[in-house]
Amino acid sequence: MIVKKQNLTIALFALLLPVASAQAHHAFGAEFDPNRPLLIKGEVIKVEWVNPHAWIHIAREMEDGTTESWMVEGGTPNTLLRRGINRDSLKPGIYLVVDGYQSKDRSNRANGRNITYSDGTTLFLGSSGTGAPRDGADPRERSQ
Amino acid sequence: MANGVDTHWTNDMNTHANTSLGLVLATLLAGSFATAEIPRTADGKPDMSGTYNVGTSTSMQRNRIFGDNRYMTEEQADRYARATQSFLQGRTSSDPNREAPPEGGDGSPGAAGNVGGYNVFWIPRDGTTSLGNKIPTSIIYEPENGRYPPRTEESRNRMVRQYRNYRGNDGTAWWLENEGPGPYDDPELRPLAERCLLGFSSTSGPPMLPALYNNTKRIVQTADTVMILIEMNHDARIVRMNSEHVAPDVRKWMGDSIGYWEGDTLVIDTTNFSDRPGLGGATRNLHVVERFTRTDESTLLYDFTVEDPTVWTQPWSGQYSWPATDERLYEYACHEGNYALGNILRGARILEADAIVAQGGE
Repeated sequence: MIVKKQNLTIALFALLLPVASAQAHHAFGAEFDPNRPLLIKGEVIKVEWVNPHAWIHIAREMEDGTTESWMVEGGTPNTLLRRGINRDSLKPGIYLVVDGYQSKDRSNRANGRNITYSDGTTLFLGSSGTGAPRDGADPRERSQ
Repeated sequence: MANGVDTHWTNDMNTHANTSLGLVLATLLAGSFATAEIPRTADGKPDMSGTYNVGTSTSMQRNRIFGDNRYMTEEQADRYARATQSFLQGRTSSDPNREAPPEGGDGSPGAAGNVGGYNVFWIPRDGTTSLGNKIPTSIIYEPENGRYPPRTEESRNRMVRQYRNYRGNDGTAWWLENEGPGPYDDPELRPLAERCLLGFSSTSGPPMLPALYNNTKRIVQTADTVMILIEMNHDARIVRMNSEHVAPDVRKWMGDSIGYWEGDTLVIDTTNFSDRPGLGGATRNLHVVERFTRTDESTLLYDFTVEDPTVWTQPWSGQYSWPATDERLYEYACHEGNYALGNILRGARILEADAIVAQGGE
């Protein structure tokens, strides 16, 4: 019971934390269509490391064996650069799995609500704590 | 979001007393930090110059479970640190054979508007939560409950009018059923951040508040001017020292800022805001007083008091640390890649056309 109580308390404290999507450069709800969910699998074509949001171009594998060029919206590239992640970390040819929703304008654009490698691990997970100077993976770093 | 849910409001007769008390408390707290040697400029003033990472996981408003307690107990601080770590770690993996998200939306709140945002790896993992050697329960410390004061009746009525017919993202042109202009009728109706005019979350302020990312600031100080460069959206605040405000009809995105020294504290007074200040809910009547105190060679204490009698029934104050960083302040060329604004407006036109066809129109 004590364990449960502790978990509950941590959960309560978690509620105080900023929600990753609480406020961003723009409202994703204004841009993407909740009635057009999709799953994109394919190789990276290129990455636009641009603000306010990075865009990952993917050759989406279609059911008929062809590929279609799609763009997936992520967050600000500045954060990734600070953590030592750059254009060499996400090269063309890397296979990604993305789930999200298509843009309301029906173009080949989607939000990358969850971007993973083909084995399901989160993108860039391997780049955290791999020796990049002060990548922030350890919250005690700042006080050391 | 400001306290749009407060159901009561008071006609506070002690506004000035509260403000004075807040300032006294702020001064006392600043004085309670170790008075270590601090860098000074040639004219003997504390040198605020430097690059700072003002990211923090301290929330703007205090959760009601903390009551009037301004700081966490050690046990609470420990739990909070663990919850923060857990949040920032995020989900490390997902089923590689997962399906597309649910039809009709995933229920995400806020800006993620029913379609989700993006992975936590886009969110910085650094930033501080401490204020001196304590962990505050909120940035706001005045009123004592650490929450926005109640809104004026005028402000509450304005919010009701604004959001009365608002509907969440259901993938339809719901605004066609309402009177008046829709939210996507004109690019100038879109939020300033979406248009790359100001950063979101009042990152450029004033008051300058922590945002979800891109929290780097750079201060360059001379005897007659202080410049504060804000990474997002490369906004530069120019503060004229020992000057007068410009004429009342001159209005600026970040207001008109003048500065002066109160002992070792740099005070910046800002008025003359445009109709849409960076601070959510505020109007052109906003008045902000910011106080920078150097608490040690690598930390600034940032204190601010907000006053807008047309919005809040009393002034309110907040405070958080600005630790120096050796990281670079990156360019934030917002217009360069702002595909979203076009997507949003084009999307709205398509949904409107769908609605007209569904009603039998052409």
